[in-house]
Amino acid sequence: MAGEKKIKVVISKVGLDGHDRGAKVISTLLKEAGMEVVYLGTYQMPEDIIRAAIDEDADVIGVSYLSGEHLVFTPKIIDEMKKHGLDDVLFIAGGVIPPEDIPSLKEIGINEIFMAGSMTKPIVEYIQSHVRKK
Amino acid sequence: MCSVDELEGLEKGAEASWDNYLKAYYEKPTSSRTWSGFDLKEIYGPRDREGRDYEKGIGDAGQYPFTRGIHSNMFRGRYWTRREVIGMGSPADTHERVKVLVEHGGSGLNTIADITYEMGLDADHPWAVNEVGLTGVNITHIRDMETLTEGVPLDKVSWSLITASPSAAATMAQYVAVGQNRGYDISKLRGSVQNDPIHFRYCGFRPACPLDLSIRLGCDVMEYCTRDMPKWYYTTVNMYDLREQGITAPQEVAFGFGIAMIYVDELIRRGLSIDEFGPRFTFYVSCHVDLFEEVAKIRAARRLWARFMKEKYGAKNPQAMQFRFAVHTAGCSLIPQQPLNNIVRISYEALAAVLAGVQSLHCCSYDEAICLPTEKGHLQALRTQQILAYETGVCNVADPLGGSYYVEELTDKVEEEVLRIMKQVEDVGGMEEAIRTEWLDREFEKEALMRQKEIDERERLVVGVNIFATEPETQTPLGVQRISSESAKKQIDETRELKRTRNINKVKDSIKRLREDGEEGRNVLPAMIEATKALATTGEMLGTVRMAMGYSYDPMNIIESPF
Amino acid sequence: MSFSEEIIEESIQKIFAGDRRTASRLITRLEDGDDWGREVMKRLFPRTGRAITLGLTGAGGSGKSSLLDHLIQRFRQMGKSVGVIAVDPSSPFSGGAFLGDRIRIQRHTRDDGVFIRSMASRGYLGGLSRSTAEVIRVMEAMGFGVIIVETLGAGQDEIDVVRLVQTCLLVNTPSMGDEIQALKAGIMEIGDIFVLNKSDLDGATQALRSIEAALSLKSFQKGEWRPRIISTVATSGEGIGDLVEGILAHQDYLHNSDAMERIAFQRVEQELGLIFRDELERVIFKGLKGTGKKRRYIRNIIDGKSDPYTVIEEVLGTFLRKR
Repeated sequence: MAGEKKIKVVISKVGLDGHDRGAKVISTLLKEAGMEVVYLGTYQMPEDIIRAAIDEDADVIGVSYLSGEHLVFTPKIIDEMKKHGLDDVLFIAGGVIPPEDIPSLKEIGINEIFMAGSMTKPIVEYIQSHVRKK
Repeated sequence: MCSVDELEGLEKGAEASWDNYLKAYYEKPTSSRTWSGFDLKEIYGPRDREGRDYEKGIGDAGQYPFTRGIHSNMFRGRYWTRREVIGMGSPADTHERVKVLVEHGGSGLNTIADITYEMGLDADHPWAVNEVGLTGVNITHIRDMETLTEGVPLDKVSWSLITASPSAAATMAQYVAVGQNRGYDISKLRGSVQNDPIHFRYCGFRPACPLDLSIRLGCDVMEYCTRDMPKWYYTTVNMYDLREQGITAPQEVAFGFGIAMIYVDELIRRGLSIDEFGPRFTFYVSCHVDLFEEVAKIRAARRLWARFMKEKYGAKNPQAMQFRFAVHTAGCSLIPQQPLNNIVRISYEALAAVLAGVQSLHCCSYDEAICLPTEKGHLQALRTQQILAYETGVCNVADPLGGSYYVEELTDKVEEEVLRIMKQVEDVGGMEEAIRTEWLDREFEKEALMRQKEIDERERLVVGVNIFATEPETQTPLGVQRISSESAKKQIDETRELKRTRNINKVKDSIKRLREDGEEGRNVLPAMIEATKALATTGEMLGTVRMAMGYSYDPMNIIESPF
Repeated sequence: MSFSEEIIEESIQKIFAGDRRTASRLITRLEDGDDWGREVMKRLFPRTGRAITLGLTGAGGSGKSSLLDHLIQRFRQMGKSVGVIAVDPSSPFSGGAFLGDRIRIQRHTRDDGVFIRSMASRGYLGGLSRSTAEVIRVMEAMGFGVIIVETLGAGQDEIDVVRLVQTCLLVNTPSMGDEIQALKAGIMEIGDIFVLNKSDLDGATQALRSIEAALSLKSFQKGEWRPRIISTVATSGEGIGDLVEGILAHQDYLHNSDAMERIAFQRVEQELGLIFRDELERVIFKGLKGTGKKRRYIRNIIDGKSDPYTVIEEVLGTFLRKR
């Protein structure tokens, strides 16, 4: 019913990589955890993701990286977020990311990274505990 | 020796861990099913196999229906090809890594396209510039192919070119162009091209793989090779990628066969005879971690394919009835947590492949879930194969698991289930319909979701994820493979330079001919080979054929045809 | 709770100027049922009621998102700005939702003349909730010329959204032949335009005849709008031109008859009802919240010590006395 606050999540793939099995699965599982998930699909550029996040007033942006593109696109996404003042929006990523890259990614502004094969509960709990209060 | 502090710590935790130890001592499996869900008895015996006819139902290796293998002596006659997949950075980078593996005993060459190449984009395409070389190699023009194959005696080696999408046509054109320019008789060349564009839409390449374009170009390659390159395996129908979606072993075979038959039907429609093209029709199969199920799956696939070829398609040539396959160990079984464990998983999967009678094997590198293989990781994978081949003795006898009551029973079960699923596909209107209506997409989504839930709910145990999980790694054991941005930049610059300096009229003429062949339904390979020699690029050639078939020049809809 | 006049005024001006971020945040607060939202809506209201409003409903798989994609493109080509509200059902189990309509129209995302908002039904059926009604107003205040509400139609629920929009498009496909039969009662009342999508498939002719037959059961007054039936193939774009023409024709009809007046009346009536019911529920339950009273009431009813009617009388009585 109206009057309940829901966590709104935008999930997307970035760039050319079209493997979307993980992105689709996490979208469904976040929905089953009570969140409202807008799934943008494949072949999105950072500007597309940020525009969707603005229109949808997303609390969380979640991106799935599977082809080593995390180093290319994470800074671009952060830049777009800063440009549009989305400082209180959580930015998380999942997929194939070497642990060595995690500290530098977090330094430029990504909030958390969940490697491939993670269980779902930690992701849900992370979002619920770190999402901005409305 | 422990320090005093450590000893005290041990004693404090001592009571809790003795409980766990006792639990572990009495523990039994929580599941009595195979990975794909077949219920199992505690033991199988002769009574389970009563009444089965060995000659008709199973047969020796090398005899119809080939359940036990396609050659009578299997590995005693020749080892499977140790063919590690290689693809990284620029053609020169990939070439380097190929040489390393060959030096260390790799017996087959195997290079893989990157995402930009599979999508049919030149290295300088606005979307490609970010991602060239990150997951494989992009071959934009003939010089890239020359670099990749530099110094390699193409008439002596067997080269497996992994391009799955319609770009496979460009790959063949490029390889043949280089071969011809170097004076080889291409009818003697040995190797393979993956060329399975239909399945590739499920791997994130939908814009590049519209169904009719996939069938058209896929079969142009198949037809061209059958006629002009009789030693070439012109397709490796890729069930492996389907399995990576999260589906079961029987689904892998059923859907793989469904796609394979679309190609077979089209080739027959074009007037080729099954006995003529059958022998070079091959498959790419997964080996997942349930060893017995994977062996049973492959034995069932061999038997089924033989029957389909003989009974449905009327094949007379035994070679046309043989299910010839390469294995890629299951990438989706590997995890980034406690990554060295992956070496163990890969070993079991490779063992399954060999026990099942594989023709060519790629072992994943243990760091598959983290990055592209490092040189050390690649070599480790090769050593895995070599230990199997040289130390374990599993190659001495064909189909060593044949006759096992369990394995024969499981083979029958898998076969039954495959047929049931194929009937399910028939009921929704056939494979093409299942693809067009996205029925297959929904099956994949369903299974992928179930696999994740099974892990979340601990119905399916994965060491390091939902049991015996430890703190997340901060380091990858053998380092991380990086792709130099210098390589990418160089390749992009070279592409731009080529486009600037080539004889544009020659290119235009060759593109015109390609366009005409494309529009008039002729096999486009000859025109593509000529266009490649005239320095036309991948994007230009594929874009031209796309337009000939009514699609946009650029799959990403960003650039227009310059012709 | 008092709100800073300045902040409210600033937000209003931003919304009138088409500021997406401010509008988007307002929409969230409206969805969450925020008092601040009410204050803002009061001031936005006078600048609303001017857009062409369309409803697009049809069962899953009917291809309505593809049609929506084409419609957005056409309206943009005509120089009109488009606001889209895409409604998807909330899961009755988890309360969450998979909002999967945007993906089909995402190519318009960078177009400043297009604003897309996905909304979960949050327990309301048919896309008719107080917040849907309010979001249409917000988009009007932003200056959008065309506003399209896309909802998942499921039989009777389709009727609801009709009362909020001017032109209602009902999408079917040939494979829904049997369902079209079942839809004869009631649903046929509400569509202004019936779209037969995927009309290149087998059974299209029969489906068309079914719709025509169902329509023929209704009698139309002179000058009354007779629903049009338009065949489309969304994947190729076939029939879209006819569809747009049909929409514009219906809009003409509305403007040249007293139907527009009736629709405007219906819309406000509907909104009054929605807002009233929602406010009442909220205010009353607000009083009960955290007191444990609601739980005690329900317990009493289950134990047979009371009944729902008596409880409501008591609650309302308390509430009214307090005023």
